[in-house]
This record gives sequence, structure tokens and C-alpha cells, in this order.
Amino acid sequence: MQTTLQSSTTFSRPESGFTVFWRAFRKSRTGLVGLIMLAIAIFVALFAPAIAPYENAAATSVGIADIYQPPSAAHILGTDDAGQDVFTNFIFGARVSLTVGFFAAFISIFIGGIFGLVAGFFGGRWETFLMRLTDVMLVIPDLPLTVVIVALTKPSLMNIIFVIGILGWTTTARVVRSQTLAVKSRKFVLRARAIGAGRLHILTRHVLPLVMPILVVQAVLAISLAILNESTLSFIGLGDPTAPSWGQMLNFAFGRGAMSVGAWWALVVPGFGIVWVVLSLTLLGQGLEQVLNPRLDTHHLMPGRPKVGTEAQAAHPARDIILDVRNISIHYINEGKPPARAVENVSLSLREGDLLGLVGESGCGKTTLMLSLLNLLPAAGQVVNGNVYYKGRDLTAMNEDEINNIRWSRISIIFQGAMNALNPVRTVGDQIAEAILKHNPAFPKNKVPERVAELLDLVGIASAHSDHFPHQYSGGMRQRAMIAMALACNPDVVIADEPTTALDVMIQAQILELLDELRKKLGLSVIFVTHDLGVVAELCDRVLVMYGGVTAEYAGVDTIYNEPKHPYTQELLKAFPDLTKPKKKLSSIPGYPPRLDDLPAGCRFAPRCPAVFDRCQMEEPGLHVLKNDHHVGCHLAEGSK
Amino acid sequence: MNRTRAVLRKTAWSFFTIVFVVVLNFFLFRVLPGDPARAGIRDPRLNKDAIEVIRVRFGLDKPIINCFDSLNPVKVGNCAVNPLETQFFIYAKNLIQGELGISYHANRPVVDILGERLWNTILLIGVGQILSIILGAAFGVFAAWKARTSLEYTAVGISLVAWSLPTFWLAILLLFWGSTMGLPVAGKATPGMSSLPLLQQWGDIAKHMLLPTLTYTIIYMGEYTLIMRSSLLDVLSEDYILSARAKGLNTVQILRDHALKNAMLPLVTVIAINLGFTVAGVIQIESVFSWPGLGSAIYEAVIRRDFPVLQGAFLLIAITVILANLLADLTYTYLDPRVTVD
Repeated sequence: MQTTLQSSTTFSRPESGFTVFWRAFRKSRTGLVGLIMLAIAIFVALFAPAIAPYENAAATSVGIADIYQPPSAAHILGTDDAGQDVFTNFIFGARVSLTVGFFAAFISIFIGGIFGLVAGFFGGRWETFLMRLTDVMLVIPDLPLTVVIVALTKPSLMNIIFVIGILGWTTTARVVRSQTLAVKSRKFVLRARAIGAGRLHILTRHVLPLVMPILVVQAVLAISLAILNESTLSFIGLGDPTAPSWGQMLNFAFGRGAMSVGAWWALVVPGFGIVWVVLSLTLLGQGLEQVLNPRLDTHHLMPGRPKVGTEAQAAHPARDIILDVRNISIHYINEGKPPARAVENVSLSLREGDLLGLVGESGCGKTTLMLSLLNLLPAAGQVVNGNVYYKGRDLTAMNEDEINNIRWSRISIIFQGAMNALNPVRTVGDQIAEAILKHNPAFPKNKVPERVAELLDLVGIASAHSDHFPHQYSGGMRQRAMIAMALACNPDVVIADEPTTALDVMIQAQILELLDELRKKLGLSVIFVTHDLGVVAELCDRVLVMYGGVTAEYAGVDTIYNEPKHPYTQELLKAFPDLTKPKKKLSSIPGYPPRLDDLPAGCRFAPRCPAVFDRCQMEEPGLHVLKNDHHVGCHLAEGSK
Repeated sequence: MNRTRAVLRKTAWSFFTIVFVVVLNFFLFRVLPGDPARAGIRDPRLNKDAIEVIRVRFGLDKPIINCFDSLNPVKVGNCAVNPLETQFFIYAKNLIQGELGISYHANRPVVDILGERLWNTILLIGVGQILSIILGAAFGVFAAWKARTSLEYTAVGISLVAWSLPTFWLAILLLFWGSTMGLPVAGKATPGMSSLPLLQQWGDIAKHMLLPTLTYTIIYMGEYTLIMRSSLLDVLSEDYILSARAKGLNTVQILRDHALKNAMLPLVTVIAINLGFTVAGVIQIESVFSWPGLGSAIYEAVIRRDFPVLQGAFLLIAITVILANLLADLTYTYLDPRVTVD
């Protein structure tokens, strides 16, 4: 879903950024709370005269008796050092603080926005100059400079706003520049340029709308910083004496003995105002940030869901079957939505020394199935039925410590896209050594580099590269290093999850050859996940074809190629070039794989099936076993032998 | 590519920034209306000769730079003066010799005043920074690890509130609370302590530091918690964490060996950028607790309009922050193998 979202924003200009923005923002509770709190503060500031019980700065005759009066009916929040009503000053203080915040932030955002846009859009010398200036200004401490400038000039509200505003643009300039750079290279901007649109037109009509949300977030943060800075200035005596802000109230109370007479109300109330406004802006900023950079809800260390369903059955696999997956079903649980049935009732057996191919389109549950074998499902994933037996022991029933001893030492995984599967800040050799030492704590430490070199040599990497970091490797080398790492503890079973997807054709062939060679040399049993039927034909002993989370067909490789029974397998084979019949037309399967949270009622392949009939729409087909251990999940196979 | 080149380039830029600050500091105090020395000689009781003596004493009889006798109001002067005779060069020369002028208020060299105070500020920032980083990072790790639990929501909520607190206000509240608890609330030591054994003196200083450090820690801990949490959340959703799990490492091993270092990297940058803000916090904390550091020096200089001290303190703080930034930047270069030039 994410890819479709991305591509749509890449190819067409979004209708209205803010409608989309608001729709996403509404979901953020943090942001909404912040917005409401801010709205209250603005309301109070706007209608201060109506809310406050006394007229502002009504310097009524101040007697000693009026000073620092505790809260009472007449003064619900007490009086201050001048005998004035704290509540009234508090209400009017909102005006000053918000005024400073909004105007200063406006100046900062204006300057920072223009600098960032110009630097990012026009590049060249302007960019160098502006960004160097930003870097220099960024490390000069803000507040001391503000203090110096305000101390040297007249501490009027105007001056304060101006100084805070002018010194606060640096972060905005940086953020806006990088966003402008990103937007500039988007397709619709490039296209607008290609058809000769003027630079100003592109800047205002195409770039600015997409930079706007970032400016809003920056503005929110700038307002809160400006309010905090103003209060600090006021507190150290640099506030505008004619505009009593919350900081000013604190300055007076603190400087004029509120502490010694215990007049907490004169100290607590104004501070509460600052916290309220700044907190509202912080929450609002957090909410906006979440909309701009949505983060995944889960991560890899969150506890998985406990397995439900079948308890361990009597395990009596054939002696040479090393990994036996029986009737496994996996759901992804989304709160408040029907679960996504990612894998349903899939069985497979891996014989010792065999290579089993697992074939299917993207999103058909292949990776989910493989992760479940080692209990590595993401937090939302749950095994709702079935068992996984490794040499007769049920892996799904193991606790984390038990399975940790199986992981890598008995069953290891070669992940797809090894760039991200290797830790970027540790050397490759170090990461391989880690696996060795984890599972053989007794391994002599001084022999580890030797073993690492040996493993790297096995996959054709010179041991000198052992000290290098993953980013210093080429894509093919990383995948080889991943394989070396997978072999580090002499596992019995290796799961290769699309190990060649991201590589170019030549490297793919090399890696596959290497895998096959190693399998034979080391006697590994391998599950090979791929969507490349050619690879399967070349290497595999048995093949499991998955469609939409279920088994379409499961049989020996010859059976699959020569007597495919499931229409999906047949279609897949038609889509695959046959070298013996070069004239034959290739076809592709129309339509898309089903959404796992919205599956059709009957057969999952029915909407795309060329051989579909009425029963397929209503009834899910069972798995029919034909001769030669040939399993077919199709009504058509019923009764055939 | 080349690490040495990166280090040299960064050092050169920091040096340039320091030069920029030095120049800025000079002109700021001469362009803006509150001219440092003029404020001191505006006293109507002084006669012309006395004013001239003061002008000579502060070097104000010399042109500011070539062609300008004064910048506020702008007074064009002789362009053919020896540049070494201008105020700017005398300022630069004095600076290189470590002279920052004489305090109006204390009538002592600014360098001496700030020198005494610098270490107190470094002590306060040092202890506060270490505590807030350790605690903040720890809370951040827990919040990320226990994502989507009440533990995370509590940690984030408290951090956001702490982030929104005005530093001086929290200092005042803690001062209020501390005074009811009988804790020392002002200064660095109890008067007359210097006759006691060293250990007792240190104990006394530690007691005085308690509230300022607590304020500092609470204010900055929140931010570190938030950054550590979000950084760790990013790292924990990376594929290499899944690899680490597949390798059979347990949670503690994964956090320690695969996640923390990667997640700490952004924190290092933030610590560097934060140093500027940290100074802002220190001014407030030191003023409230009368801690004799650079921050309270600024506060007092502002109140007394003691411009040489203000000028010197700003310069010292700015240069310290720039150097600390450089240090953090270089640490980052060292920590992250992916960093290359640019």
C-alpha cells in the first residue's frame, strides 16, 4: 500500500496538500490535544478583557495590605508585589507572550524559509554561501547573543520580537533546504521544467506547496522557542516594562520577595501559563511531525503474540525429514479490523540434503511463512494453528531461550537485500564472529579470525575484506557475506529468502551457483524462496507454489513442470520463457493477488483463474493429494489420481 | 573519503566561526546604541578633561577602524591611519594576549572575574550533562524497547512536559521546595568553609550543587529521552535487528551490540547542538541559585550594565560552545564508519 501511495505523489501533483494533511492529522491524539490547548490560550488572549475580573494594570491604590494577598474571593489567584490581581495579569500576560511568539516565529520562518528555498532550489554559490552562514550561526549560542543585543538596545516589545525572530531562522533554513532539494527532483517538477515553466512559477506553484507542511511544523516549534526566550529575557530583567508578560510577572515576584513571604501563587501561576502554551505547541508539533514522518507501529524487539491453536501432536516424521511444517496458519492481527490471513493451512516437509523451492508472487505469504519457522514474526503476526518440527521437536512450542539455541546454530536465514540485513556500523568479520561466539562460547578466541577468514573464503571473499564495513562492499559481496554468516555455525537447514532479488543477472547466477555448490559440499538442506521459476527448475528437488497465503500446488520439480494441475501453476509456467519453444508467446496473469485482509469467499485465485466455475466462488478448495506426493489446492483436482 | 581531511576541514570551519564571533562581538558593542564605554561616561558630573581621561583609558580616542571614528552615530574619519592604531586591532591584539578589558562594576580585569567563574559553570554543566544524558538515554531506551505500552506513554509524556518547562521557573519551584527541606539554595559554599578539611568542603559544595544540578538534569533529560527513543525506534525496525534476532541473540545482546551504538549517533549530534541551548539554561539556573558561574556573570552584568563583562562572557561562552561542537562533530566522525567528507 505504501508503494502505491508513494508513486501517486511522485507522478501527479497532489490535489490539496492541506486536505490530505488534516485527514492524517486528525488521527494523532497528541496533536489534537495540543491544538485544543493552543486554541484555549488564543481564546483567552483574544478575549482577555472579558475574562479578566479586573481591568488590566488597574493600579488601584496599593496599600501594604494589598501586597501578596493569598487567593481569596476577591482575588481568586491572590495578588502580586504591586497589590495587583494575579489572575488578571495572568490573563493579559497571554497576549504578550503569544504576540511575541507569533511575530518572532513569523520573522524566523520567513527568513529561514526564503534562505532554505533559495539555497535548495537555485543551488550553486547561493547555496554554498547561505548554508555556510547557517552553519556558522547555528553554533553561536542564541540566547546569550539575544541577551547581549537586547541589553544594548532598548528592551521594547518590538526589539525583543525582532531580535528573537532574526536569530531563530537557522534550523528552518536547513530543514527547508533539504525538503526543497527532495521536492525539486520529483517527477512533476522535472516535467514542469521540461515544458519550459519559469523558475518562479515552479517555485511558487510546485515546490512551495510541498515545503509548506514542513514550514508549519517549524513555525510551531519556533513559536514555542520564542515564547521561552521572551520569558527568559523578561526574567533576567530585559523585558518590556510596559508589556507585562508571564516572564515579567515572574521576574517581579522573584525579585521582590515572593519567595520570602511564601507567596507561591505569584510564582506558580505565570509559570503555569508558559508551560501550558509551550506544551500545547510541543504536542501540536509532535502531532504534525507524526503526520509528516509516519513511523512504523512496531519494531523487531516487541514481544510477539503467543501461539494459539493446536498443541504438540505426536511427532512421527519419516527419519530423513529434517524440517516438517504441518498445517500452519498465520494471521496478522490489527486492532479493530479483521485479521489478515497471511498464511493458511500450509504444510511442507524438507528432507535432509534437499532443496525445496517456495514460489509465489510478492505478498503471497512466503516470507511470513519462513519467519514463522524460527518464531521471528513481527509483533502483529500470530501462529493460530499448526506446528513446525525440527528433528521431531516442535519449534512453535519453544520459549525464547530455547528457540535462540536453534536459531542460526541449526537453522539459519539468508535475508533478501543484505544491505539492510547487515549492521552498518560493525565490520562484516565482526558480525560473523558474533554468530560463532554466540553459539560456541567455548570456541577459542584466537581461532575466530581464522574461522571467519575460512568462511569468507568459502563464499569467495578475500579475508582482507573481513575488517571492512558493509557499505564498503558491493551488492554481490554483501550477499556473499550474508551467506558466509549463515554458514558460520554449521547449520543443518538454510532458508534463503529471495537472496538474489536485488542483484543484477550476472551476480544472481554467481550467487545461485555458489549456494548450490555449498549445499552439496556441506550437505545442507535448503528452503529457497523465490519468484523465479527458472531458478527453481534448475536447482530444486521439490516445489511449493503459494498463492494468496495458501498452497496452490506442492510436488516434485518434474511433476510441477510436466504435469501442473493448478491453473495458477499453469499460468505461471506460461509466463516463463521456455528455451525449447522459442516461438511460443509469453503471457502474464491479469489482475492482482488478493488483499489478505479482504479475501474472496471461495477460492483465493478465483478472480484471476481462467478455469473458474461456480463452485470456486463459494467454496474454498481443499488440498487434494494425487499420486507421487502431488498436492493440489483446486476443485479441479478433486477425484483425479 | 579521507578522515584526516574531514577533521582538518571541520577544524578550519570552527576557527573561521570563532573569528566571525570575535568580529561580531566587537562591532555589536559599537554599532548598537548601548556603547560600552559611552554608557560609563555619560555621567553629567564629569567635566571634559575627566571624560577625555576615561576615553583614553578605554581606548575610545582611537578610530574604530580605518575611515570610521565611530559607528553609532556614524562618524567618518581619516582613512590613512595606521591600522594597528585602530580600536579593532587593539581589541584583537588584547584578545590574543588574553585581555578582555576592565569591569565597570568591579574595576578588575574581566579575565580574572570570568576565569574564577568558568570552572564553576563547567562543573555544573559537566555533572548536569552527564546525569541528563545517562538518565535520558536510559529512559529513552526503555521507552523504545517497551513501545506501545503504558511505560512508553508515561516516559514520553513526562519528557514532553519537562521539555516545555521554562528553566528558571523549574529552578524557582525547586528553590521553594529546597528551602522547606533545609537544603542550601544559594551560592557554591557555606561561608567560612575553607578552614575545614577538603573532604568536608567538597561535601558542602555537593550539597550546594544539588538543586542547580537537579534543575539542569530535569530540563535536559526530557529531550534526551525523546531523541533516544525515536532514534532507537528507527534502529529497532531496521532489517539488521531482525538478522540479529535470527542469529539467536537475546534482547539484551541485541540492544547492547546492535542497537545502542547506532541509536547513540544522532544523540551525539543533538548533544552538540544542544550546547548552545544548554548555555541558555545555565544563565537561568545560575541566576536563580546565585551559582557563581558565567551564567550569573551575564545576569549580573545585564543588571549592572557592566558591558565589558557581558562582552567577555559572551565571547567566552560562544568560543566554548563552538569548540565543544567541534569536539562532538569529530567524535561523530570517529564513531560512524559511514561518515565521509561532506
